[in-house]
Amino acid sequence: MFNAGMDRLITHEVLDDGALHRITFCDDARRNALSRAMFDELDAALAAASSTIAGRQAASCVLLAATGRAFCSGFDLGACVADPTMMGTFLQRLSTAVRMLRSMPCPVVAAVQGPALAGGCALVTACDVVIAGPAARFAYPVHRIGLSPAISLPTLRGHTGGGARTVALAPEPLDAVAARALGLVHELVDDPAALDARSLAVSRHLLAKGPQALASIKRWMNAHDGSCDLAALDATLAASVATGLSDESSAMLAATWASMQKPR
Amino acid sequence: MSTLVSLDITDGIARVCMRRPEARNALSRDLITQLRSTIEALRSRADVRVVILEGDGKSFCAGMDLKAVATDPVAMGDMLRALAETSLAIRKLPMPTIAKVQGAAIGGGCGLMVVCDFGVTHPEAKVGYPEVDLGICPAVVAPWLVKKIGAGPARAMLLLGGTMSGAEGYAKGIASHCVPLDQLESATMALATGLAKGGPLAIRETKRWLSVLDGSNDDAAIREAAEISAKIIQGGEAQERLAKMWGS
Repeated sequence: MFNAGMDRLITHEVLDDGALHRITFCDDARRNALSRAMFDELDAALAAASSTIAGRQAASCVLLAATGRAFCSGFDLGACVADPTMMGTFLQRLSTAVRMLRSMPCPVVAAVQGPALAGGCALVTACDVVIAGPAARFAYPVHRIGLSPAISLPTLRGHTGGGARTVALAPEPLDAVAARALGLVHELVDDPAALDARSLAVSRHLLAKGPQALASIKRWMNAHDGSCDLAALDATLAASVATGLSDESSAMLAATWASMQKPR
Repeated sequence: MSTLVSLDITDGIARVCMRRPEARNALSRDLITQLRSTIEALRSRADVRVVILEGDGKSFCAGMDLKAVATDPVAMGDMLRALAETSLAIRKLPMPTIAKVQGAAIGGGCGLMVVCDFGVTHPEAKVGYPEVDLGICPAVVAPWLVKKIGAGPARAMLLLGGTMSGAEGYAKGIASHCVPLDQLESATMALATGLAKGGPLAIRETKRWLSVLDGSNDDAAIREAAEISAKIIQGGEAQERLAKMWGS
């Protein structure tokens, strides 16, 4: 393990003699929310994977996974309520993580075992191959806090094309079957206990391919589907930041946060 | 002119209803004109959060009412241009749009469903683009289909013509929701109510970017496609097939 230690929010395992990097969210207590600390660990894991993979001749693969009830529940909203500038900071950091995943010079597989919401869904869209369990859900429930998920549209469109309208605007989450129909999920694993094994098998299947061919076709797809168009990534990030820092968003976020704090 | 399109706005949800039930809401010149002006008037309404497009009676919309102008091919071309402008007006609404589709959504009617952000239908509905069966070119509605399901699937659908069930339309991605007919109204309203709870500025920004990224604002391309349809419908092949269908 690259980052062994206590109280980690992410585990980063290097398997198969350095070929396979498994990065796993493991902060079930906060449903793998993207907090400042989580972003720090994600950045570090992706940077470490990227630099070691870039130096390898042999095939490599990154597997993004999660343990617990959720794959990733999106931004740590408590931090956004406490500090009005945090939404902008988180969006910037999410954009960085998405770009790192997309520019990883090898395939990135996502194993989605539970809800992937908002920023969590954005991370999934940045992966190349998405494998989902039956409890996976995909949604951008951020219009409720006055925030536009525009930041995610270039990569979401890369997977779903026109289905992005449904995914981005829908007020209710999509289940794994619907997400598969729209192209956001590529393989559905019916047995939740089999997701780990299947996502490892798919990753190892990729390790048998030609590494230069994989890196090359990934670069071509990135250019072809517009998901790495820097102008679009910058402009949609700016659009999300503008909505996230608006009066509408502060008011809706405060109201949503207050309702979340009530005892259920 | 009688009222062929009604508008009701309640709690931020606008319902635009085509009202020619006796003709399965076939798109006559007057209906298209009224639909376009109703839609365009909604564009500046900041209080409207969601627009539902629906049809009175058993069907959403049976398509273009070409028979009414059977002896006037030039009028047919003009109706297709008007359909293109109406589709553009729907796409440019800044708030989310939902087509509530019962019964039939055929040809131009299917085009109206597909240009909306969401299409809610039921398994037994009849949807699709049978234009080529009649010698008509569906270019006028093709851009929205390509944007919705991708060029490859759209190519096959438009060339094969015919119609399909609502269930199949959902499986192919031209409808976003498919529910039992007796839940069509409640499912549509649940979707509309959920959308209306979103921050209006945020949701408009999301929709704006969806349209920027998928090329929905390319008016010239849409109008060019309409010209192609207008030209073909005025030609001998279409006119012969239409005359044969009408038995004239």
